[in-house]
Amino acid sequence: MAQHVVTMLPGEGTGPEICEAVRLVIDASGVDIKWEYEEIGLGCLEKYGTLLPDKTIKNIAKNKVALKGPTTTPVGTGHKSANVTLRKVFDLFANVRPAKLIPVLKRPWDKIDIINFRENTEDSYAAIEHMVSDEVAQCLKVITWPGSYRIADFAFQWARANGRKKVYCVHKANIMKMTDGLFLDAFREAAKKYPEIETGDVIVDNCCMQLVRNPAQFDCLVLPNLYGDILTDLCAGLVGGLGFAPGANIGDNCSIFEAVHGSAPKYAGMKKVNPSAVLVSGIMMLRWLKETAAADRIEKAMFAVLHEGKHVTYDVGGTATTDEYAQAIVDKMQGKA
Amino acid sequence: MATTFSEAAKATRKKKVIKLVGVDMYIVTEEGIPKFPDGEFGPFKCEFISNRGTKVWPGFVSPDLMMVNWYRCRFMATGDVTDADVDTFLAVLTKKGWWWSAAQKLWTHDGEPAFSKAY
Repeated sequence: MAQHVVTMLPGEGTGPEICEAVRLVIDASGVDIKWEYEEIGLGCLEKYGTLLPDKTIKNIAKNKVALKGPTTTPVGTGHKSANVTLRKVFDLFANVRPAKLIPVLKRPWDKIDIINFRENTEDSYAAIEHMVSDEVAQCLKVITWPGSYRIADFAFQWARANGRKKVYCVHKANIMKMTDGLFLDAFREAAKKYPEIETGDVIVDNCCMQLVRNPAQFDCLVLPNLYGDILTDLCAGLVGGLGFAPGANIGDNCSIFEAVHGSAPKYAGMKKVNPSAVLVSGIMMLRWLKETAAADRIEKAMFAVLHEGKHVTYDVGGTATTDEYAQAIVDKMQGKA
Repeated sequence: MATTFSEAAKATRKKKVIKLVGVDMYIVTEEGIPKFPDGEFGPFKCEFISNRGTKVWPGFVSPDLMMVNWYRCRFMATGDVTDADVDTFLAVLTKKGWWWSAAQKLWTHDGEPAFSKAY
C-alpha cells in the first residue's frame, strides 16, 4: 500500500480538536498517511507576522495535498483571509462543493445530489478595492477568459469522469454583459469538447429560487467566485447545513480539502462540535488520492453512527463529544459496535 | 433639515482629510511581469505588482500561478506629490512604451489607506 504524505492544517478555534478527531478516523480506515502538521491563521500573526508562514507554504508545495481545519476571517477591517491567501498562492482555481443528501438526516427533500464548481481566484475576490472619493468605494470584478474556461473545462472533465449528466453555468450576464458575459462565453466554448453532456445556463437569481423549490433538477453547476460563495452555502443548507458540507480547493498541482464552516472560537476546547464537515472533506481527499475503499469504509460507518443516533453531537440531537463521535465511527469500522 | 431619505443620507457624510500618496497603474503586456527600476519614475516607486489579484512581485510566486496579460502595478510616492506629478509620471510611462489601460490615484483618508493590498 502506498504511503501518502499530507499536510495537516488544524487551523484555529475548534479546528485543532476537530482535526484530531478526523485524524483518528482516517488513520483507522486502513489508509497509510504520514501527517505533517503546519500552522495557519491568526495565531501565526504574533509568532511570524503573517497568517500564512513560508514554512507552511513550502510544506504544502512539497506534499501537494493538505487537509485543513477552519480559520477565522476578520470582517470589514484587519487582516486578509488566510483561506483566500492559500487559494491565491497555489492558484487553487476550482472550489468543488458537493451537496448530497445524507440519507439518515431528515430533510424536506427526497433527492439532492449537486456538485458546485466555484471559480476560486477571480471575480470581486481579486482584492482590487479603492475609495474613489470620500463617499464612493469601488471593487473591481475581474473575470478573465482563461480563468473562466479552465473552471468550466475542469467541471466538464469531473462530470465525464464521474458519470454526471448535466453541467449548467450560473451567471448574471443579462446585466453584467462584459464580465459575466465573458464567463458564459468561455463556458460555452469549453462545453463544445463534451458533446455527451447536457449543458445550459441559468441566471443566478432564478437559480436561487429554483434551488429552494426543486433542487433535484440540478446536477453540476459552474459559478463565478461570488455567486459560488453564496450558492454553495445555500446548497449546504438544503442538505443539512455547513456541519456536513465538504469542500475541496484544487489547482493544477496542489489540492487543499477543508470544511467550509467557521472556527467557532466560543466552543474551542469544549470538544462538543460536530467534526463531520472536516471528516467528509477528508473522505473527498481520500477519493482524490484514489483511496476509494478507505473513503467508502469511513462514509458507511459515519452514516451508520448518525442513523443509530446514540453517539452523535448536540447539533444533530445527541450529547456525544467530538471524540466520542469519532470513536464511535472507528468502532463501527472495526466491527466493535 | 433633511426632508428625504436621499437628503438625510447625504447629510451623514463625514468629511475626511484626503492626501495623494500613489497611483495604481493597470498595464497590458505580453512580456511577463513588468520591471520598473527605481529612480526612473520621479517621485514614484513601484511597491508591488499583482495579477488577477495575486502579488507576483516582489517575493514568492507559485509556479502554478496562471497569469493574464493585465497587471496592477502599485506606485507609491516617496514624498509629497501633486496631481501634476501624476500627469508627468503617466507621460513617462507612455514614453517608455508601457501600454496602460487605466490609472487609479491612491489616497489616504484621515491618514488611513483608502485602497486594498494584493494577496
